[in-house]
Formats: sequence, C-alpha cells, structure tokens
Amino acid sequence: MTFFKELARSKVGMAGFVILVLFVAVAVLAPWLGLEDPTRGSLRARMVPPDWWGPHPLGTDEVGRDILSRIVYGSRITLMVAGAAVVAGGIVGTFLGILAGYAGGITDRILMRLVDIQLAIPLMMLALLVVAALGPSMVNVVAVLALTSWIRYARIIRGQVLSLREREFVQSARAIGASGWRIMLRHILPNVLTPALVVATLELARIIVMDAALSFLGLGVQPPNPSWGRMLADGRTYISTAWWAVTFPGVAIMLTVLGVNLFGDWLRDYFDPKTRSAR
Amino acid sequence: MSDPLIEVRGLRRSYGGGRTLLGAEKPVTHAVNDISFHVMPGETLGLVGESGSGKSTAGRVTLQLEPADEGSIRFEGREITGLGAREMKPLRARMQMIFQDPYSALNPRMKVGAFVAEPLVVHKQDAHPDRVAELFRMTGLDPAFMSRYPHEFSGGQRQRINIARAIALNPSFIVADEPITALDVSIQAQIVNLFQDLQDRLGLAYLFIAHDLSMVRYLCQRVAVMLRGRIVETGPVEQIFADPRHPYTRSLLAAIPVPDPDRPRPKREIFDVSANIPAREAAMAEVAPGHFVLQP
Ligand SMILES: Nc1ncnc2c1ncn2[C@@H]1O[C@H](COP(=O)(O)OP(=O)(O)O)[C@@H](O)[C@H]1O
Ligand SMILES: [Mg+2]
Repeated sequence: MTFFKELARSKVGMAGFVILVLFVAVAVLAPWLGLEDPTRGSLRARMVPPDWWGPHPLGTDEVGRDILSRIVYGSRITLMVAGAAVVAGGIVGTFLGILAGYAGGITDRILMRLVDIQLAIPLMMLALLVVAALGPSMVNVVAVLALTSWIRYARIIRGQVLSLREREFVQSARAIGASGWRIMLRHILPNVLTPALVVATLELARIIVMDAALSFLGLGVQPPNPSWGRMLADGRTYISTAWWAVTFPGVAIMLTVLGVNLFGDWLRDYFDPKTRSAR
Repeated sequence: MSDPLIEVRGLRRSYGGGRTLLGAEKPVTHAVNDISFHVMPGETLGLVGESGSGKSTAGRVTLQLEPADEGSIRFEGREITGLGAREMKPLRARMQMIFQDPYSALNPRMKVGAFVAEPLVVHKQDAHPDRVAELFRMTGLDPAFMSRYPHEFSGGQRQRINIARAIALNPSFIVADEPITALDVSIQAQIVNLFQDLQDRLGLAYLFIAHDLSMVRYLCQRVAVMLRGRIVETGPVEQIFADPRHPYTRSLLAAIPVPDPDRPRPKREIFDVSANIPAREAAMAEVAPGHFVLQP
C-alpha cells in the first residue's frame, strides 16, 4: 500500500495514473455505456458538428458514424493491441537480455549483433515490410510491434545482468550447485523486473503512437472496426470542413500517451533506490 | 596421521592477457601464483594477506567456482579439477563458501527462509520449514524471521543467514572469505564464536580468510601468509606468532592492535611490498616441523 501513498504525493504521477485508469475503465465498460454502434452510420447525419448535449457529443464522420463511440471502441482495440505487444516484447526481450548477459560468450555475441542489425533498420520500415508481407491482421500487428520492442528490453536487461552476475549471491548459488536455469529464473529475473517494468511504460507510449501510425497507413486493424490512427487518416480529408473528425482522435492519442509517460516517469523514480532513500 | 580433507598443489590462476581489439597486449594479473596448502578434517587454516594478494581468488578456485589455470585440488581423496558441473554437483554439498559482504551475498528479492532452504531444494533433500527453522536456530536466528526479506536484517544477522545456508547440506569444508571484515567490531566476536560453535558441533573444517592476524590466533590451528599471489610462510599458529621468519609476516604481527596500552607494542617494521615481490624461483624451506618459509 506504500505504492498508493507514494503516488498520492506526486501530482504529476497521480494525473498520469488517473488518465490511464480512466481510459482503461471506459474501454472495458464500452458496451454498457449506451453508445451508438461505432460501425453503423446514418447518411442523414453525416458530418454533424459536435453538440455537447445532443446525440453526437463529438459530432459524426463523413458516413455519419458517432465519433465519441468510435473513439471509445477504438480505445479497446488500441489498448489491447498495445498491451499485448508490450507484454510480448517485454517477455521476449527480458528473457533474451538475461540469456545474453548470463551466458555471455557466443550466445551474447549473436544476440547483440542481432540487436545491432535491427537498430540499423528504421523501425517503421521494418514494421511496414513485415505487415505488408504477412497481411494486416491484429495478431500480425501485435507481432510486429513486439518485434520493434524486444531489443530495448534486451539491451537494458543485459547490462543489469552483467553487474548482477558478479554479485555474491549469484556466486553463492553456483556454490550450492544450482543450475544456470535456476540462477537465471530465481536469482537474476526477480532482480531485473523493476527495470523491465520501467522500459515497459516507455514502450507502451511508443507503441501506441506506432500502432496509430500503422493504422493511419492502412496496415493496422481493418475497417469497419474503429482505430484511432484510421480515424485520423479518414478524417484528414475533411479537415477544413469537419475539424472534429480528426481532432478528437488526435486528442485521444495525445492524452493516453501523456498519461502513460507521466505515470512511467513517476514509476521510474519510485523504483530507483537512489531517489527512494532520499524520501 | 590421517589424510587431509582438502589438498591443493601448485595452484595458479591469472586474469587478463590476450590482446585488445587494437592489438595492444592486456596486462596479466597473476592473482594466484603457485600456491599449495592442505586442510585436515575439523581443522581451521587461516589464509592471511593484504587486500589484492589473491586470497579470494584462491578460495574461489579451491571450490572450483572458477577454473584453475594449473595445479591439482584433491577433496576427500578425489581430484576435482576439470570435473564437469554434473560430477561436481554432489561435491558441492560437501564444500561451501561464505562471502565477505553480507549485503551483496543475499538475494534482495528472496525471502531469507527460501534462501536458506535453496541448497536443500537444489539437492532434492528435505526442505521442510522445520528443517529450515532448525538451521535458523543453529545459527542464532529466530525462525519467525523466515518470511522476511534481507533488507530487514542487520549485517551480523545477514552473515548468520549466509552461514545457515552454507551449513544446510552438512558440508565438511567451508571457505569463509573475510566473513567478519564488513561487520561492526562488537558483532565480530559473536560471529567468530558461531564459527567455533558450529565447528565443534558439526566437525567442519574451515579455510578462514582474513586480511590481518587479529582473529587468527584465536580461531586457527595453522596459518598461511599470502603475498602477491604466493604463500610466503605457513605453519602452526603458535609457531608463527612466536617465531615469524618472513619480514611480511612480522609486519602483519606488528599491525595487530594491542588491547592493553601498557603492554609494549612490538617494534613496527615498515614493510615495503613492492620491494619484496617474491622471486619466481623462490622455494619453500622447512625451518621447523610444519613451519615453512619462502626463501628469498
Ligand atoms: N574476476 C577477476 N577479474 C580480473 N581480475 C581479478 C578478478 N578477481 C581478482 N582479480 C585480481 O586478482 C588480484 C587478487 O584479487 P583477490 O583474489 O580478490 O585478492 P584478495 O581477496 O586477497 O583481496 C587482484 O589484483 C584483483 O584485481
Ligand atoms: Mg578478497
């Protein structure tokens, strides 16, 4: 419970946390919020401007679909895709980072060369290539986002493991005859979870933007399912006549990323023993 | 006379060497440079020398936590250099290590009960909480603390936790690498007493590593003095204290704090290590029964 007590003391961290919780709650509760069907439009209600107390608080798009409803249902997909990608990339990257750092030698060299090679390719290009080759399905989008993400965990975790490996409790584990797997799982992994979590919050923000960019380019989740990036792409044609169609999805992306970043910054301080002992 | 529990012959271990990417030669550190010693069952051998003289390396290599470059190690009558992890594993239960820094020796993310029980789990022995509680009591810890994390303990308690883990598998030999150096002076005597108590009850043999001679007379039957990777003098503890032959041993003896200020302090010879690097071809000579000195 010290977690929430500490959080309450940081306005910025709390703000980020509240934004995130709000978005997740709305996404989870979407079907019970009495919203219109986000995929069904009405040709008689095309490009209705925002009317805060009317049937379309944030207006409608060019085929008459309710924008608020599309943003809410779009958040389900965005958060699901981004969440799954962060978890997948985090698990793979943490595991490979531990393996590289603990095993060392040839394993380490191969994995780190792989990271270098991938770093040399622009992420967006890599993502475009893979999605274009495999086709834009939700699973493929998650896979490609995770693929752009694992190297960030792997590099940071490997560095942590290199110093952990020299700690005496790891030597002590070897002295009792513990296997390499046991040492990696029981002694190294629990001690790198904190940095992994910090990387995860940074990655979540980046992946949300990248997911939006992919759907903006038409390589994300396919219509008629709503997605924030797709809404931006469709709405931008009408930006001079229907500003709301592109503005509100943009605000939604911005708010989520802001929330994740504020909370992530606080989380990093919370786990940093140096700032911790100062408190 | 019975056989030694562990016998080390001509052990060498160096670090560095090879070349950097640019082709420059990396300097070689001969951390352990041809040392030999043995420890009898139930005996304590003190390994003493200044920081950097290679004591920890000697301890780690003796337990085969890292490979020797050269030399032989016979443990319970069996050569253990070059054994694979699988052949080593049953021997790991018989030989253990206690580390200098009780803070970094405990896994901060593991409950201390699980930490003490881990050797039993690894060797598929009874790791029931009752057995762990017994280990806690043997080392002077309250078993109620089993479900706590390391940061809640003091340095002395942490060292007791390390000791409990080290004795869990009933070893016959323990390398204790400066186990009291990092502790408060008031705690040091308690931990030394615990070492002796456990030795009496379990018949343990220790290689007790220290950077000065102050606790050695009290705890050890024999001493080996190490300087720059070599043993320069070794013998029964009384003999070494009464008749030190090597100048480095004499300077270590002079450095022991004298508890009684009225007692005359032995005259302190300043020992210049860099002027006294043991020569490569220097050999040990027996000056009295069991008392060997490296000849200049
Ligand atoms: N893992 C290592 N890698 C490189 N050099 C080392 C390593 N361990 C020890 N050394 C070097 O070997 C020498 C002896 O170190 P050590 O055995 O720790 O001495 P002591 O325990 O007596 O202080 C030192 O010069 C040290 O820098
Ligand atoms: Mg040392």
